[in-house]
Amino acid sequence: MPQAMDQRATPPPREYTDGSTAIVRAALEAGCNFFAGYPITPASPILTMMMREMPRVGGIAVQGEDEIASIGMCIGAVMAGARALTATSGPGISLYSENLGLAVMGEIPLVVVDVQRLGPATGGATTVGQGDVQFVRWGTSGGYPIIALAPSSVPECYHLTMKAFDLAERFRCPVFLLTDKELNMTMATVALDAYRPVDVRPRPRAEEPGRPYRYTPAEDVPPLRHYGAGETVRFTGSTHDERAFITKHPPTVDALNRHLAAKIEEHRDEIEMAAADLDPRAETLVVSYGVTAGAAREAVRRSRAGGAPLSSVVLQTLWPVPEATLRRAATGVRRVLVPELNLGQYRREVERVLPGMDVSGLNRVDGEMITPEQILEAVR
Amino acid sequence: MKWDIPLGEEIHPGNLGCQGCGGALAMRLALKALGPDTVAVIPACCWSIIDGAFPVHALKVPVFHTAFETAAVAASGIKAAKDVQGKATTVIAWAGDGGTFDIGIQALSGAAERNEDIIYACYDNEAYMNTGIQRSSSTPSGTWTTTTPDERPESRPKKNIMEIMAAHRIPYAATCTPAYPDDMLRKFRKAKSIKGTRFLHILSVCPPGWKMPSDRAIEVMRLAVQSRVFPLYEVEDGLAYTMSLWPTEPVPPEDYFRVQGRFRPLFEDPARLERIKAFVDQQWEILVRRHRRTHPDEAGIPAGEAAAR
Repeated sequence: MPQAMDQRATPPPREYTDGSTAIVRAALEAGCNFFAGYPITPASPILTMMMREMPRVGGIAVQGEDEIASIGMCIGAVMAGARALTATSGPGISLYSENLGLAVMGEIPLVVVDVQRLGPATGGATTVGQGDVQFVRWGTSGGYPIIALAPSSVPECYHLTMKAFDLAERFRCPVFLLTDKELNMTMATVALDAYRPVDVRPRPRAEEPGRPYRYTPAEDVPPLRHYGAGETVRFTGSTHDERAFITKHPPTVDALNRHLAAKIEEHRDEIEMAAADLDPRAETLVVSYGVTAGAAREAVRRSRAGGAPLSSVVLQTLWPVPEATLRRAATGVRRVLVPELNLGQYRREVERVLPGMDVSGLNRVDGEMITPEQILEAVR
Repeated sequence: MKWDIPLGEEIHPGNLGCQGCGGALAMRLALKALGPDTVAVIPACCWSIIDGAFPVHALKVPVFHTAFETAAVAASGIKAAKDVQGKATTVIAWAGDGGTFDIGIQALSGAAERNEDIIYACYDNEAYMNTGIQRSSSTPSGTWTTTTPDERPESRPKKNIMEIMAAHRIPYAATCTPAYPDDMLRKFRKAKSIKGTRFLHILSVCPPGWKMPSDRAIEVMRLAVQSRVFPLYEVEDGLAYTMSLWPTEPVPPEDYFRVQGRFRPLFEDPARLERIKAFVDQQWEILVRRHRRTHPDEAGIPAGEAAAR
């Protein structure tokens, strides 16, 4: 053995794993004790792992008869005190739609993993895609604010899952973890010290009985009341007052709908996360997320070695849009490139946030990934 | 016995089925009975893959690959349009057990209740094989799957889809398996001749999912029938039961289970195995009673069966 290798410090322990494993591990560490899901590629590994692991920590995992049943069980479990996760892919999110609205209206903390595959419809069950970005934003009737996080690596699958549970508890709403087939099913070598656990806050206990939906001001998040916790809890998908009685009283209905938006909009600073890697010499900013960020990071690295440096923002929060970060990062650049595995769904948001800026897309919907070379070619 | 399986094929040689796939063979036989003027409606299931991608499409008949939960209703819509056009095209919904017993049962129940003029065939391999062997409500008790692992094998009995369909009082429901091709063809021909909702429940071996050698595929489906785990019978108008085959070989259910690795947990739990065997006997006796009620004067019942309570 060469001398140099012999004297090298022991490398940090590593493991060979995938995003699904990281998500399951993070969920269990976050205190998730209920899972329900339905077989669908590429989200099935989360289901099979949960069916195996959940009983070992004293929780319950159920395979539903379809996606409607799966998310419905999760909502019921949360209302009775559980911390719940469900996981599916695009066609399953379609069937989640009505219950997502119910969870928004009933202010249910719930983490929903959408392992994106190429769509629409069956699309490519084993093919990567990022076509659900706007779908999760507008995935149920009536319009609603939503939180969606997008990991771009296996370690991020871990800590953004924990973060998703924390945000769900903080804001009492469904939180999407938007991953994709490659992140979840492609094995990767990960240094164990790359995992960064996140503190997940306990569910606050209600002090004053009888007002499960009291919010003053509108951005307040009232504590969740559980069934069986000593008071008579009501829950309804209809417009309701602070005691969860159905109402059509216009000022009350108005306050409810504004509250559902304000609790998220007024606390964007607690939700928005992005990793900016800016170079003062850069003329182009690359805005990426999810699996595409891997190619973006590599393109940025090569661009700097090549003397024509790029700036990069990798978004960890997709919804709400990290607008301030995008504006800061775009200061001084001439153009912005948004590579994504759809036809420009997030580019719309970047264009909205950066009016007047030259924003272009690099888009693939052929089931293949965007390469660093394509990004470097697009910015040339 | 006269061998009258047509030589003509509605399926090209070669498809993406695994070795020993019962579903691939079942489709081949079903289409021999239904003929070329047939539209196949296939939801998410193995057959949405088996049919193949361009340019190796296996089926000669038109295929409508529909959403998972909509096989019965998409077929109903196609049949309605054919009715409007005055065409007698046979429309068959062809779904797996997940798409029938679980996610598709609402649409199936609705179509059956309306007595839609479709054939609904469930090729039942007793789990979600296409997504990696997750249990379904068709998975029998004591079975290993990836979501009912060895330490917690399937605890519930297989859902009785035939009784559910019979309860809709549809004109025709029958069980069959490609291990008995003459019986299967007869039932598909009969189904084609009847108007209204017709349901065919096909036991369909899956060697990778059942953890068994593919060269025993036909044998294992025969064992299922001969051991009375999967009886062959017909139900007309939901009430008239007719046994199609009286097993002639004394095959205990263990012989059927033992061939398949998925039933390994069963042999580590003798009490459960005994319960399942008793359950098989009970189910059989119920069917024999119903057959006798339908055919009170029939002389052809084997002596042992005639004595059944």
